[in-house]
Amino acid sequence: MLLRCRVPLANFELDIDVTFDARVTSIFGPSGSGKTTLLDAIAGLRHIPVGEIEVNGRTLFSSARGINRPPRDRGIGYVSQEGALFPHLSVRKNILFGANRDTYRKSKDISMNHVLDVLEIGNLLDRPVTKLSGGEAQRVALARAILSHPQLLLLDEPLAALDVSLKERILPYLRRVRGEFAIPMLYVTHDVSEVFALADWVIMIRAGKFIEQGAPRAILPSHWLTADPEQSQVENIFDAVWIEADPNAGRTRVRLECGREIVIPYMARPKESSLQVRIRGDDILLATHPPAGISAGNVLDGVIRDIEIVEGQAIIKVDATDIFTVRLTVGAVQALGLAEGRSVYLIIKTRSCVVL
Amino acid sequence: MISFLETWHITLFSLAVGLASTLAILPFGIVLAWLFARKEWPLKSVAETIVLLPLVMPPVSTGLILLKIFGRRSPIGQWLYDRGIEIVFNWKGVLVAMAVMSFPLLVRSVRTSFADVNPRLEQIAATLGASGWRIFFVITIPLAYKGIIAGALLAFSRALGEFGATILLAGNIPGQTQTLSLAIFNFVQTGNDPAAYRLLAITVLLAFTFVWCSEWLLRSGKKS
Repeated sequence: MLLRCRVPLANFELDIDVTFDARVTSIFGPSGSGKTTLLDAIAGLRHIPVGEIEVNGRTLFSSARGINRPPRDRGIGYVSQEGALFPHLSVRKNILFGANRDTYRKSKDISMNHVLDVLEIGNLLDRPVTKLSGGEAQRVALARAILSHPQLLLLDEPLAALDVSLKERILPYLRRVRGEFAIPMLYVTHDVSEVFALADWVIMIRAGKFIEQGAPRAILPSHWLTADPEQSQVENIFDAVWIEADPNAGRTRVRLECGREIVIPYMARPKESSLQVRIRGDDILLATHPPAGISAGNVLDGVIRDIEIVEGQAIIKVDATDIFTVRLTVGAVQALGLAEGRSVYLIIKTRSCVVL
Repeated sequence: MISFLETWHITLFSLAVGLASTLAILPFGIVLAWLFARKEWPLKSVAETIVLLPLVMPPVSTGLILLKIFGRRSPIGQWLYDRGIEIVFNWKGVLVAMAVMSFPLLVRSVRTSFADVNPRLEQIAATLGASGWRIFFVITIPLAYKGIIAGALLAFSRALGEFGATILLAGNIPGQTQTLSLAIFNFVQTGNDPAAYRLLAITVLLAFTFVWCSEWLLRSGKKS
C-alpha cells in the first residue's frame, strides 16, 4: 500500500509518504496528529491538494495523474470512532447496507453468517440500533464494513469511545476479524496497548509528520517515551497460552511465548487457548535478592540488559527469558545500584497481569 | 350573516389551494434546502437572501412584483397567456401568491432538518458503495422527514393566512379567488361582523392545529 499525501490543516500540514504491506497496520500518534484526516483522505471523504494513494496496486487518488475515485468506488470499509450506524435502520439493514456491492467480490467471499458468528451479533439483527450498547454498536459497524467486501478496512479509534473494561472485551473481536477475514486493516489509535494487541506494523505520526515505522516491538515503547513522556505508558504485552485455571484460588496459569509460565487472575478456559497478557511497566517491582514472604503471584529471575534514562525516569529492560520493560525513578536505580548485567528479580502481582 | 354552504365553500377553497401550493413547492423546497445545507456554490448567500425576501418584505410589495411578472403585459405573462394559462385574477393567482409567500418558511425549516443530519452518516454510506441518490433517499430524507413535514405544515399554515400578495395578484372575487383571509377582510369592510367572526374562529382553529402539529414534529425529531 502506498500513501503519499499533503493536506494543509488548521495548525500544521499533514505530510505523509509511506509504503507498507502488513495485515494490520497501526497508525499511531497522540490526539490531534492528523490521523483521522489521513483516513478520511484514503476513503475519499476529504479533498487532498497533493498526493497519491494506492491500495492493492489500484490507484485511488493521484493529483499528478488526475485520478480521484469517489468514495463509493474506492472499496474501503470505514469504521469511525462513534460507529456512525444509521439510526433509522435496524441492525440487519445497517449490516446489509453495503452488502450488495459486488464490484470487489472475489472468490474469497465473505458470508453474512460467518461475520455474525465471528462478531457474535446474530441475536441483535432485528433490534433498532438506538437500543444497542456502545460495544454492540461497534461490532455492528464492523460487520457492516466487512460485509461491503472492502479492499481495505479503516478503523478510526474504534475503542476510544468505550470505557476500559468494554475495550478489553472488544479487542478479542478485532483480533478474530484479523484472523478470519483476509482484509488488510489500517488501525488508528493513540493507545499503545491496542497497537501491541492488534498490529503487525506500526506507523508513528506526530503533528502530521511521519516519525517512524516498523514492527511494534521494534519501535515501541521506548521510542514513544522519548517522543511523549507526558502521556507515556510502558507496556509489556506477551502472547500466551492458557494452561489451567483454579477458580477457588482465583488464579490461572499461562505460558508466555518465551516458555516461561506466569500466574494471572482466574479466567475460564477461553474458546481459543491463545491470548495476550498485558503488564504495565509501572506495576513491576525489582528486587536485588530473592524476595520471601511476599503475596505477589509471580517472581521471575532475570538480568538487566539496558537502562535508559528519560526525563528523570529509568526505563529498564530485563531479560527474564522474554524482555520485560520496567519503569522506575532514577532514585530507585541509584539506591539499588542497578546496572546493566546485574541479576534481579521481577515481582509481579497476579492482578497486574491483564488479559487483552 | 353567512350561510353554512358559503362558509364551507370558502374554507374548502382555501384548504384546497393551500394544499396544492404546498405540494407544488415541496420538491423545489427540498432540493433547494439540501443545496443550502450541504453544498457550497457561488452566490449561495445571495440566493439564500432572495429566497428569504418574501418573509420580510411587505406582502403587498411581493404581490406587486408578482403582478408585474405574471401580468399579461410582461413577457412571462404573455408567454403563459399564449399557451392558455392565465395567472392573474383567478385561483391560479391565489396559488402562486401562496406558493411564493410560504416558500421561505418551507426552505428554512427543511434546511435546518438537513443540517441536523450527521454528515458522517452520509459519508459512511458513500464508502459502503451508495450513490448520491441512494444516500439522499435512504439516509438523508428519512432522517430529516420530520423536519420536512413540519416545514410543509408551516408553509401550509402560512399559505392559508396569505392576504397581501393574494389580493394584488388574484383580487378578492367571491366564489373565485376569495380565501378565508380575503373573506374576513371583505365582511369586516361591509360591516358583516358575525360572518367575519365565524371565519375568524375557523382560521384560529386551523392555524393552531397546524402549528401545534409542526412544533410537535420538530420536538420529537430533536429527541430521536
